[in-house]
Amino acid sequence: MIFYIDTTSNYLYTALVSDEKVISEVKEKLDNNLSVYALPKVASLFEKNNILPEEVSKIIVVNGPGSFTGIRIGVTIAKMYAWALKKDITTITSLETMALSNKNNTKYKIPMIDARRGYVFAGIYDQDNNQILKNNYVNLETLKCIANDLPGDYSWISNNNIDVDKLETYDPDIFKICMKYKDKESINPHMVNPEYFKLTEAEENMNKNDREVNE
Amino acid sequence: MEDIYILGIESSCDETSCSIVKNGCEEIATVISSQIAIHSSFGGVVPEIASREHVKNITFVIEECLTKANMTMQNITAIAVTYGPGLIGSLLVGLEAAKTLSFIYNKPLVPVHHHAGHIYANSLVKKMSFPLIALVVSGGHTELIYMKEDYSFEKLGGTLDDAVGECYDKVARVIGIKYPGGPVIDKLAITGKPTYHLPTPLNDDSYNFSFSGLKSAVINLAHKEKQKGVELNKEDLAASFQSVVVEAITKKTLKALKDYKVNNFIIAGGVAANKVLRNRLKELCIENDIDFTFPEMKYCTDNGAMIAAAGYFAYKKGRIATLDLNSKSNDKLN
Repeated sequence: MIFYIDTTSNYLYTALVSDEKVISEVKEKLDNNLSVYALPKVASLFEKNNILPEEVSKIIVVNGPGSFTGIRIGVTIAKMYAWALKKDITTITSLETMALSNKNNTKYKIPMIDARRGYVFAGIYDQDNNQILKNNYVNLETLKCIANDLPGDYSWISNNNIDVDKLETYDPDIFKICMKYKDKESINPHMVNPEYFKLTEAEENMNKNDREVNE
Repeated sequence: MEDIYILGIESSCDETSCSIVKNGCEEIATVISSQIAIHSSFGGVVPEIASREHVKNITFVIEECLTKANMTMQNITAIAVTYGPGLIGSLLVGLEAAKTLSFIYNKPLVPVHHHAGHIYANSLVKKMSFPLIALVVSGGHTELIYMKEDYSFEKLGGTLDDAVGECYDKVARVIGIKYPGGPVIDKLAITGKPTYHLPTPLNDDSYNFSFSGLKSAVINLAHKEKQKGVELNKEDLAASFQSVVVEAITKKTLKALKDYKVNNFIIAGGVAANKVLRNRLKELCIENDIDFTFPEMKYCTDNGAMIAAAGYFAYKKGRIATLDLNSKSNDKLN
């Protein structure tokens, strides 16, 4: 049995998944209440289905990019769980979950997460979900130019309101995601950490100052 | 009676810490992962960096604590955690970790106010006698609290602006000392003389404090001396600043002790490590025949032991939280 958790956006996506099906899942917009309700909802997911935390054999956690605070909630829950009960754990990026869940049959898929100030976290995937543009923190206008140069049709995916044509709303196909990652090598829980794809502002300013001094 | 073992988690600022405390008074094991070295290059704690470090450290710290104690989670009675006040992102990591442990092991979750933790660091030294007055002095807080009995808190007064520890760090920066400068001021003051004239902060009949005027006076003095081309005597400035701070705190503390007719006084928080302040308050208590308790130096800064100690008394009072416990950057101690 797999326990899946994604708190990287203002939604909670969590599920218990067997090899055959999604046993039970929660897909709920929690906005600023993610820190309050993520764990109670996870707990009731187990309770409602009469499943004990010990019965899970693998944890799949979405570790970013996205909301910095949101990422930390899911990652902390998942790594504590895996560490405490010695469970296998593996990470997946939020952008790949979006690409895997895409239902449009376009040649390319561009999952995005709003990073504010005209920037997005995004990557470009082909039909077989191979990554052809590395996940990154990128200017939206630059990304639109890159998309226009793609040799085929493409679809934008996000659960944020981003200014692009024909935006597909992200609805995770948790079963598909879990089946792809169920046999992926496990990571030591201590080493499961968020992928922010962006330094903190303080670090960016310090790097900028260092560059100016060197110039 | 069965022994109660509380696992305490603290992550309100820049220290990730976990402790196990037996019956609220006996420290079994403590692990602290400090981020001071990381933040010092930024001149102070960067909240987002602190949160990121807490996530990296949290499982290591808890594992090491259990290993040190030679215990497993099965031996733990309840999990106590700092829910506030503090940096919201930092608090959340400790809180989610504690909630997850509570869920997985079906153990009670005990919410602990950070100040209660600082106060109960004293119960690791000796049994606290009530009623008492507690002075909490740290980087974020300066408060006088009356405790009629265990886990009962009545705030008598607090700072109206800067906390005393914050003021120490800012003054340290003015005289060119890197973060965290408070402890360095304390050291410099020992060899200096209080030759600089600085204003007495909030000299009134309340139990409140105000340190921003004093901080501004130090900054202005430093600018004036610089304009005149006069080099500041750091030791003397530190001694002048510290004597004003200590006198202001002592005066309000004495007033509270007399008004409330208590014979027990405790000091808590990071600034409780300040030697001059400790000694002056000790003298004050001897002069007035008041029993004075202060935490060991290692318990003055943020640590899981104080949270586990306070957690024991909160647990005994039945203060158990559900899994929807949230962190609060600012919350009244009650």
